[in-house]
Amino acid sequence: MAATLCGRLLPKAGWVPLTQSVRHGSKAVTRHRRPVHFLKQKLLAVTEYIPPTPAAPPAALAPRFRKIEEESTMAVLLRKDIETLFKESKMIAVVQNNAISAEDLLQLKHKLKRHNISIKFFPNQVTRSFLNNSIYSNMLPLFVGQTVIFVSKEPKVKEMLQALRHSPQMVLLGACIENTLLSYQGIVKYSKLPSMTIVQGELVGGLTMMTSQTVSMLRHHPAHLSALLQQYVKQQGSGDATNAVTNKDASTIQEAAA
Amino acid sequence: MFSALKSVFLGFARTSSQPDVLQGHMKVVSAGLRTYAVPPDFSDVVLPEKPKLKFLDKVPNLKQGKKEMKKLRDIQGPAKSSNSFCKGQYGIVALGGGYLHWGHMEMMRLTINRRIDPSTTFALWRFRAPHKPITRKGLGQRMGGGKGAIDHYVTPVKCGRLVLEVGGRVELAEVEPLLSEVAKKLPFPAKVVSRESLAALYQDQAERETNNQNPWSFERVARSNMLGIRKVLSPTDLHNHGRYAGKFFYPARV
Repeated sequence: MAATLCGRLLPKAGWVPLTQSVRHGSKAVTRHRRPVHFLKQKLLAVTEYIPPTPAAPPAALAPRFRKIEEESTMAVLLRKDIETLFKESKMIAVVQNNAISAEDLLQLKHKLKRHNISIKFFPNQVTRSFLNNSIYSNMLPLFVGQTVIFVSKEPKVKEMLQALRHSPQMVLLGACIENTLLSYQGIVKYSKLPSMTIVQGELVGGLTMMTSQTVSMLRHHPAHLSALLQQYVKQQGSGDATNAVTNKDASTIQEAAA
Repeated sequence: MFSALKSVFLGFARTSSQPDVLQGHMKVVSAGLRTYAVPPDFSDVVLPEKPKLKFLDKVPNLKQGKKEMKKLRDIQGPAKSSNSFCKGQYGIVALGGGYLHWGHMEMMRLTINRRIDPSTTFALWRFRAPHKPITRKGLGQRMGGGKGAIDHYVTPVKCGRLVLEVGGRVELAEVEPLLSEVAKKLPFPAKVVSRESLAALYQDQAERETNNQNPWSFERVARSNMLGIRKVLSPTDLHNHGRYAGKFFYPARV
C-alpha cells in the first residue's frame, strides 16, 4: 500500500513540471491599447491575411467572338416585300424626303394614286441589304438619309413629275425606269419623249410612206421613169462617179462653146 | 385632330411602313402587378410569461461584499460561453471586452421595454446582474491605507458574448433600429445580429482561416517559435493568434 502511494505521489526522476508560474508584470491598463513590441509588430505585419486571388470571371476565359447579328424577322419580311416590289414595278423612283408634313404627304399620295403610283417607305438598312445582292446594286448611292420610293407598274414619269412639282419637300434623286438607271435630267428627258404608241405609229408611218412613194413613183408617167432609170444606168455605167462627173462637165462646156 | 387620326390610320394601313412610324403611334400600357413576399412562419414561437427585460439589482444580495482583484482575464480574449443564441432571434453581440455598469443595463432595459410590443416580442438578458466589485478610494483621500471600499459592481463581458436577445413574432427590420440605438451606447464595440448573420460571421471567419494565402500564419510562427518570437508573445497569443489583445478585438486578422 505504502509502496503504491509513494510511487504515485513522489515525482519521478528527470520530471519537468508541466506548468510553470511566470510573472508577466503589471497589465492593469485596459483603457487604451498597449504599445506593441516591435518584433510583434513585425510578426503581425508579416502574418496578415492574404485573400485568395479571385478566380477569373468566366467571360474572361471564354474566347472572344463577335455576336452574329441575327436579322430581325421584320427586316426579312420587309426585304421580301421590297424584292417583289422591284420585280413587279417598271418604274422605281428614289425621292428624298425633306420632312414633308402629313397633310402634304396625304395630298401627294392622292395625286400619285390617281396614276397608280404608290409611295413606299422602307428603312435604308433593309433597302441597302436588298440592293447589295441584286442587279440594282448601282442604285445604292441613292439611298442615303430620308428616302422614299415611288413605284408603279407602268412608267408614268410625266405624271409623277407633275405631282412632284407641287411638293418641293420631295426631291427626286434618280429612278430606275424599265431597267434603266436614270438621273434627274434623264428622267426629265424621258418624260418629254412621246408615248410608245405614237413612236410606233411614226415608225409604221415612215415605213408605209416609203412603199407609198415607190408606188406613186411607179404610177408616174413611164417616160419620167425611163429617164430616171437611164440616168441611173449612166451613173452606174461610167467607170467611177468622178469620171462621169468630169465627162458631164466637159460635155456641158462643149455645148456652151458651140 | 382629324388629320392626326387619319395619319394614324394611314400609318397602320401602310403595307410596309417603317417600324418607327408604327411605334410613334403605339402606346405601351403596362398593368401594375404587386407581388407580396410570403411572411415568415412564426407558428413555433412561444412567448415567455414575462416578455420584458427584468430589472437587475444594482448590488448583489450578499451579506458582506468581498473585495476582489482586477481579474482582467474576465474581459480578455474571446467569450467561451454565451456566444450563441438560446431563445431569441436577434441580439446584440459584443465585439470587444468591457464592463457593463448598472446604468448601461437600465438604459438597455428602459429603451427596449418601452419600444417593443410585449404581445409579439420578448427580450431577455444574456448576462448576470452586476457581481464584480470595483473598489474606489473616497474623494480627497490621501494615498495609502490599503485597498479602498467597494464602490460599485459591474458585469464583465468578453468579446463575442451576446448581451441580450430579442425574439417573438417580429422581423429584424422591426427591432434593428432600437437594438442598434442601444448597441452604440455600450462601453464596448457591439453589433446587432440575427441568428443567420451571427452564423455567417463565424462561417466567414472559418473560411478566411482556411483560404488564407499567406504561408506565414501567426499560429505557425508562434508555435514553432521562429527566431525566438515567443519572447515577445504572450501565452494567450498562442490561442488567439493576434486576433485579441487584452480586451480589444481585431476582426481583420485571422
